[in-house]
Formats: sequence, structure tokens, C-alpha cells
Amino acid sequence: MSEADLAQLLSQVRMGDTEAWGELYRRYAPAIFRFCRRILPAREDAEDATTEIFVKVRQKIGTYDRSRPFTAWLYKVASNHCWDTLRRRRIRQDLETGDLETLPLEHPDPGQLERLQNEHTSKEVRRGLRRLPDRARMALVLRYYADMSYEEIADTLGVRRPFVGVLLLRARHQLRDALGGSSLSVREKPTGGRQP
Amino acid sequence: MSASDYSLASHFDEVTALLYLEGQLDPERAREVASHLASCAACSQLLGALEKESVWLREALREDEESIPTRVIAAPERTGTHWGWIAAFGLCLAGLYTVWDGFVAPALAQASQAGFSQGNLFTMLFFQGAFWQGWDTMRNMTELLALATLAVVAIWLLKKQWHRLTAISFVMGALIGVLGLPSIADAADIEHGSPSYSLPAGQEVKTDLIVAGNRVRIDGDVDGDLLVASQSVEVNGHIKGDILAFAQELRVNGPVDGNIRAWCQSVTLNSTIGRNLMGFIDVFVFADKARVLGTMTIFAGNSDLDGRLSGDLLAFSGNMNIDGFLGRDARISADRLTIGSNAEIVGQTKYQGRHQPDVAPGAKLGSPIQITIPKRGPDYTRISYYWHRVLLWGASFLFGLVLLLLLPELFHEAVGAARRVGPSLGLGMLFLFATPIVATIACTTIVGLGVGIATVLLYLIAVYSAQVFIGSWLGEQLLGRSVGLGPAIGRLALGLAIIRVLTMIPFAGFLILLIVTIWGLGALVLALHRKMSPHPAVAA
Repeated sequence: MSEADLAQLLSQVRMGDTEAWGELYRRYAPAIFRFCRRILPAREDAEDATTEIFVKVRQKIGTYDRSRPFTAWLYKVASNHCWDTLRRRRIRQDLETGDLETLPLEHPDPGQLERLQNEHTSKEVRRGLRRLPDRARMALVLRYYADMSYEEIADTLGVRRPFVGVLLLRARHQLRDALGGSSLSVREKPTGGRQP
Repeated sequence: MSASDYSLASHFDEVTALLYLEGQLDPERAREVASHLASCAACSQLLGALEKESVWLREALREDEESIPTRVIAAPERTGTHWGWIAAFGLCLAGLYTVWDGFVAPALAQASQAGFSQGNLFTMLFFQGAFWQGWDTMRNMTELLALATLAVVAIWLLKKQWHRLTAISFVMGALIGVLGLPSIADAADIEHGSPSYSLPAGQEVKTDLIVAGNRVRIDGDVDGDLLVASQSVEVNGHIKGDILAFAQELRVNGPVDGNIRAWCQSVTLNSTIGRNLMGFIDVFVFADKARVLGTMTIFAGNSDLDGRLSGDLLAFSGNMNIDGFLGRDARISADRLTIGSNAEIVGQTKYQGRHQPDVAPGAKLGSPIQITIPKRGPDYTRISYYWHRVLLWGASFLFGLVLLLLLPELFHEAVGAARRVGPSLGLGMLFLFATPIVATIACTTIVGLGVGIATVLLYLIAVYSAQVFIGSWLGEQLLGRSVGLGPAIGRLALGLAIIRVLTMIPFAGFLILLIVTIWGLGALVLALHRKMSPHPAVAA
């Protein structure tokens, strides 16, 4: 669908056209369902969340800023909803923002890192992802599934913008560990390194 | 390259590498990194590994490996009042009223005529009517509840294995379990005639007697109930409980203190029955010396009522001759009714049939017979006929709407299953005819009664819902499969309207309704089976 077609569709949705709404839903619901599926613990949770997210989208469609990409706005609504869901259930157990600043990060061996990638299927990666703390999992999904910007990730997860990179890197390390690649890191702190 | 090559005194850190890779560094810093990369193989290699990791993550997260649930595919609708909805709601209410007024209320009135005159029909059925067997059976019910509780706990413990059970095996297992409960056998004397069974005069069975044989003759007494399955049954002794009979021929010459429930080709009563009679009988003879002190409910091919009935009569019969005494009201639906000169009906008589009743001059009637001779087939010239169709459409539409909103996944599964015409028709045929048989078998034991009645209720709901699924399928063929609740409702409304119109066609209408019912029922069974079968692999 071209941008012009999408803009027209969104205009029709704003005017209450149910056919247009059905088309919009049909187009984006599968992606949002998969997004929720990556973040929330159970398939049923993802189904409920998808429905609830689209109810919110329909209620808030008037607030959508047409100068921004629609998918970015859509994923923002979805990520806020999922994050609220996790928070309501009090199953977020990861570290707070303050801890992120002092997290030790270890350098990987590039060769071993590539071997890790070659040895694990996509399914195993998704399994590993489920074992991560909620914030780490959210960060990876927001960035690498929804293509959200660092600003949007910071806003959604309630961390400061400069720490999004640390958060993402930390999440990658946790995923490598979850996949059994803990031995590929060297025991040196990058914060001690000289900048080029 | 070994890990030790990363002497941090000369290389940038991993965070910087990631930020550079993702375009998050400010331009000046990015230039420094780029400059370093041009001369540093180790950092280039790290950057390359991180970049590959990004691609690896994207691919893993975006892989489309899992089917999208149908519940998600149906678009949620914004709630809001609309004149169309108000009109539809009004029609639906009118339809419900029509269903109540046309079907439920007359059925209740008929039951009331038959002596089920208490406010609550179920109370009557269970505690004063045909099914109640006394407090002893409540003990069995308690045992059943205990067993059911244990079963629920077991199912809960085994819920991880639940998906391995199919719907059919579960239902059949439960039925077999209930039918085979030892509590019945504990309190009964079970006899297998080879080939015939006889209880001699003077002998007494102190418990219930369950007997099967080619010919069964009971000259002795039975303290409990007599449950008999045989070609020919003759009861000359005293039965202090009920008689429950499946027989080609049943003759009751001895007194029965309880009820008689009979599924027989012919039944002849020559004695006094303490409570009620209910029977599905081809030829029924209620001899002049026989007495029934309760009510009589019969579905018979031919019936002669010459005896004395104290309670109400509810009869559906081909030919019916009354030449005896009826102590209260009679409600009769028959092809032909003859009331002889010896007949006396104290209460009111309502008759519905194809022919005028033949009433002998000497017959004593408490009040003139209310006669209804329904015109055969619908009267297409009357507007009320079409209005009635519209209201019935409204009722089915409302029912479909409730199904769609409450069970959207099952609804869409069933509509999808309707596309598989062959399996749907086959399964529908099986379940349409087999379910009432299974339910009837379940009802023949007091512990199976709850299961039987529940099965019948679910069966009726399923049969009614069949038109909803086929209507939606029909709408889908005409309007396409566009996604969303609105289109789904539109398809439902149109499809049901078409079915309603088709069923108005003389003669063919009934056939169409039968096919729709079989097809829709089969689709529902397929959908239920799919829902209870193992799900496809879910996302890791």
C-alpha cells in the first residue's frame, strides 16, 4: 500500500468508515499480534492485547500526527499497552534505570559471537528471548521488531535517552548468555577503554 | 583473533560500536570511529559481528511462524448506538417473544394440562413427576457429585495432557463412566434370562430388579423398581417401585405403586398404577378395569382409553378412542378422536387434529370440547405469516449475534468448517440422529438423568445454531470474506434471511431446513473437534 493510499485509508477511518477500519485492521493486526506475542508471556495474552490495542487505536486515531509514520505511532500505542500490562501484573523484575549506568559490559569475541549466531535457529532465539527480563526483552523487540527510535524506546520504557544503547547492549549480552554463549565474553570492562 | 587482541587501550568499546552501527553517535564522534575502523581490523571485525547479530535478531523476531488466531482476525468494533441497531434489537425482542409465544408457552401449557401444574416445570419433573424416585436415589446423586468432583480435580491435574483428549473420546468416556456407575448395580438384582426369565409367584425381590431376556414374566413381587428390556413382558405381581420398560410388548396385570415409563410397541394396562404413566407406544390399551391415579402422558400410534385416569391427560396420538373416565383435563393432539358413549371427562377437553372429533351422544363432558383444526401448510395470503417469518429471522439473528460476540473464535471456526461440505454433512447426520439416542440411554438411569438432560439442552442449542453458521457461510459466498465485525454481522443477517426465505418454499422448504441443520451441526462438531485438538506449534 502506497503512502497516499494509507493516508486516504486513515482519513476514511477518521470519518468512521467501518469498511476502511476493517481494511486497516486486516492490514496491521497480524503484525501487532506478533509484536505482542514476542513481549507477553502467553498466546492468549497476545490475543487479548491485540484486540485492546486496536480499540485504543480507534479511540485515539484523531490524535495521530500525520507527519509521522503511521506504523511508528501504532507500535508506540502497542508498546505502551504491553508495558502497562506487564507493569500491572508486577512481573517486571529487571533492574531500574540507575542500575543501568553501572552495569558492567564485557567484550565479546567476534568469532565466537558469529559461531553462536550460526549454531542457533530463529526459534531458539525466540525461546531465549522469553527467558530475558521484561525490560531487556521489550528493548530488543521495540528496536529490532518494531524499528522504534532510541527516543521512542526511552519514552516507552521510562529510561533516559543516553542509556538506551546500554540497555540494548545489555539485553544482547543476556540473550547470548541465555543461549549458552556466556563463555564468549572477555573479562574486561569497556568503560575503561580509550576512545579512538 | 583472540580475546586478548582487544586491548582496550587502543580500541573503542562495544557500546560505542553499537551506537555507531545504529547511527546514534553525533557526527564528530562517528567520524572518529570511522577513521579508527579504517585502520583497525579487530574493531572492524567486532562491528561486523554486531551487525550480523542485528540482522540475526531481526530475522528471528520477524519470522512469521505462527498462525494468526481467528479471534484476532475479526476486527473489534467501536461501540455506539445506531438507529439500525435499535431496529435490529427491537426485531430481535419481537422475535424472542414470538418464539416464546409460539413454542415455549404452548409447550408449558401442554405440560400444565398433563398435570405438571406447579410453577416450576423442572421441580415437577424431578420431585413430583415421572423422574423422581425417592430419597434413596439422592444418595446416588451425592455419590455422583463426589465422583464428579474427583473427576474435575483429576482433569485439572492432567490439564497439560488435556489436548490429547478429543472431544468425542471425552464425551463418550464420561457417558460410559456415568452409565457404568456401580451405585445402580449395588442396589439392584440383575438377571439375564437365558433365553427367558420368570419370577415365580410368592417370591419377592427386595431390591430393584433389572432383567433382560426374550420373555420376562413377573408373577412375584418387587420391592424396588423393575427395569426390563425384553421382547415380551408380563407383570402379574406387585411392583412397589416404578416400571421402566423397553419391550415389544408389555402387559401389566399386577398393581404398580410408582410410575410406569415405557418405550414399547404395545402396552396393555389391566391394573392400578399408583402414580403416573409416560409412554412412547405404538399401540396402547388402557383397559376398562385399569386405573392410573396420577397423570398420563402418551405418544402413541393408536390408543384406547377405557380405564379410569385420575389426573390430567396429555396425548399425541394417531387414532385415539376414549371410552373411560378422565378425572381432570385432557389435552389431545391426534389425527382422529372418538369419544364413546361410556366416556366421562370431568375437566376441560382441548383437541387439535386434522379431523373433527366423533363424540357419542351418551358421553359426559365437563365442558364443550375446544376444537382446533389447523389449516395444513402456511397461509401465504396473510401478512401475519410474513411478519412471523421476519420475527423468526430476528430471533435467529440475535442468537447468531450473541454467538459471534461471545464466542468469536468458535463462530469463525464453525463457518470455516462449513466450507468442508462433505465432512460437515456426514458428521451432522451422525450427531443429529445419534445424540438423542445417547441422551435417551443416559436418561434411563437416574444418575444419567442430569447428563441426559444437559445433552438434550446442548443438542437443541447446537441444532438451532446450525442455521447461523450456514447463514454466515452463505453470506460469505455472496459478500466476500472482508475482515471485521461489521461485515461478519452483515453476512450473518443476509445469509439467515436467505435461509428463512428458502424454508418458506412449500415442501422443499422442510428439506432445505433439514440439510441446513445437518450441515451446520456437522460444521459445529468439526469446529469443536478442532478446538479441542492439539494446537499447532506456538512461537518460541
